[in-house]
Amino acid sequence: MSNRRIIPSPSVSSASQVGAPAGPDGGSKLKATLGLLRQVRFSARDQMALLLMIGLLGAGSLLSDVFLTPRNLLNILWAVSVLGIVAVGQTVLLVTGNFDMSVSMVVPFAGIVCVGLQIAGGGLWSSMLAGLLAAMLVGLLNGVIVVMTRANPFLITFGTQTLVYAVALILTEARTWYATIPAFNVLGRGTFFGVLHYSVAIFLGLAILVQFFLRRTPYGRYLYVLGLNEEAGRLSGVLVNRVKVLAFTFCGFTAGLAGLIMTSRLNSTRASGAQGMDFDSIIAVVLGGTSLFGGSGGTLRTVVGVMVLGILNNVMVLAGVPYDAQWIAKGLVFVLVVWADRFFRRDK
Amino acid sequence: MGRESFAERLWGVLAKHTIIIVLVGLIIVFAVACPQVFLSGENIQNVARQISFDVIAAFGELVCLIAAGVDLSVGSTLAMAAALTMGLQGYGVGVAVGAALAMGLVVGAFNGLLVTKGRIVPFIATLGSMEIVYGAMLTYTGQRPIPGRSEWFASIGNGSVGPVPLPTVIMLVLLGTFHVLLNYTRFGRNMYAAGGNPEAARLAGVQVDRYRFWAFVLSGFCAALSGVLLASRLNSATIHMGLQTPLFVIAACIMGGASMLSGRGTAVGAALGVLALTILSNGMDLLGIFTYYQMAIRAIILIFVVAVDAFYVSTVHKRLATASAIGAKRAERRSIPRQQC
Repeated sequence: MSNRRIIPSPSVSSASQVGAPAGPDGGSKLKATLGLLRQVRFSARDQMALLLMIGLLGAGSLLSDVFLTPRNLLNILWAVSVLGIVAVGQTVLLVTGNFDMSVSMVVPFAGIVCVGLQIAGGGLWSSMLAGLLAAMLVGLLNGVIVVMTRANPFLITFGTQTLVYAVALILTEARTWYATIPAFNVLGRGTFFGVLHYSVAIFLGLAILVQFFLRRTPYGRYLYVLGLNEEAGRLSGVLVNRVKVLAFTFCGFTAGLAGLIMTSRLNSTRASGAQGMDFDSIIAVVLGGTSLFGGSGGTLRTVVGVMVLGILNNVMVLAGVPYDAQWIAKGLVFVLVVWADRFFRRDK
Repeated sequence: MGRESFAERLWGVLAKHTIIIVLVGLIIVFAVACPQVFLSGENIQNVARQISFDVIAAFGELVCLIAAGVDLSVGSTLAMAAALTMGLQGYGVGVAVGAALAMGLVVGAFNGLLVTKGRIVPFIATLGSMEIVYGAMLTYTGQRPIPGRSEWFASIGNGSVGPVPLPTVIMLVLLGTFHVLLNYTRFGRNMYAAGGNPEAARLAGVQVDRYRFWAFVLSGFCAALSGVLLASRLNSATIHMGLQTPLFVIAACIMGGASMLSGRGTAVGAALGVLALTILSNGMDLLGIFTYYQMAIRAIILIFVVAVDAFYVSTVHKRLATASAIGAKRAERRSIPRQQC
């Protein structure tokens, strides 16, 4: 319930009213049952990703005995955690009705800055900080350009994506760079008690933290206002531009964090290291149920969306689907989910 | 409109004529920087051949931009068309080309249905189909380049009519077709109407959705045609084809006067936009500028072009819109039926 739009649309509230215990005189059980059914229907359309996940889990358990073991599920979480961290930042942006396509190149770029500094003799912490700052700088740049020109964020960040890629290629001369500080590996490969990877913990922790931030703090609320009605936000005193720039910068930050984890996991980085992550992160967010048009959703939903993508991948590998066909599956799922989202919204 | 500030008027003039200024500027710069090579007949032929493929794809994108949408799937469609053209040559060139073009039409129709029936925003819908077609292309080719088998087919992309390369001839024919289609037919005018102000167009009796649908179909077809010709030119298909195409053609169209945000743009402008971007990379090649720097420069140009377009629209255009709304009200008072179709 906590994941609902902050300004409930009429039918949402009516659904919950009907679902609530029937009125004093209405006492008929039929009405209550109908209301309950309606509410279930509402939740079903609201929680499509959860249903999809359960379905995929069922399919996976049919395909293989080892699929539904905690170990495999943790492995899936580990595999998607980098994407998940990016998706958390992307969620914050999508809530405001913006996108960041540059993440797919910012992720390796943060690694390149970090490893480059290590090669040049920098320390562990300073190199990691530099990587994060570089990523945040790109986010800031995206935000400033979008705010100043009111241009389509999609194309602007597509442009910065190419720009960052070019800069990364120039810096690395299109070679793979290897990290030089052994302790750097801990970030991507270390675990709590040999069970829970740090990266998974960071992903889930960040998702919970950001969800709390979105729901319970003024700034979090502003983000929804931006997505719902920017003009109304401006008129009621929200510093619209500043909030938007901060959202872009935060998205850059998560991309940088993901980049550091990915680099540390592979112990290396190259300019094209995260190709497709732009699209994947947006799919994950939308799969989770955050609207493409802003104003709704949250990061806990994104966790489910990311898990669906991970499980889908795992199931397809188990089913022996050729690797390249996964693009088709992801594209189809994406189109279907967006279409269903539109369909149900029109229905309301 | 006497109250426009100087800056706004300057924006207006620049936005109308930038492409010509940019083109002349580029030609002068490179003609001075490398006079022997840049203006040689061989190089001019080279550029003319090179732009043909992109211009053809740009026409499709232009129609999409005019009808208020954007098609991001052009690159994947182009690559898939090239792969089909090369891969199916065993069944005869005609079959292969036919299959490739049909594929383009199907992708376009799919996009069109998603946008008009599914009510999905164009760039999200085409982003989805871009991935689907890209995946199909990777699966079909197995990530390997496909060489061509037909000498005859390769001669289409590499041949010349007198001094003019054959692809350029095809491109010029299409340029004429699109110019006439957009400027002198009801179809074209309704395209602009559907994109410029969908609500007004609907009230005037234009079936907006139908025009948006056909815009996507045309875009798919043009992308596929471009892919077929490019495959013929290289006599092979690789998975790297079309990776930059969507951004490249969108930037070119916007440079040529089209807009992401309203039904504007001309076929000649789009062709000039592609020409300018191609001359830029050609000149940078001649000057020996490294590929990655070229990439960075192109990215900056894209950002700049999109930003200027948005800025122009958000300042000048808003004022124009207000003015035209007042005009519309006056017209309403006179109650003259303006358009019959």
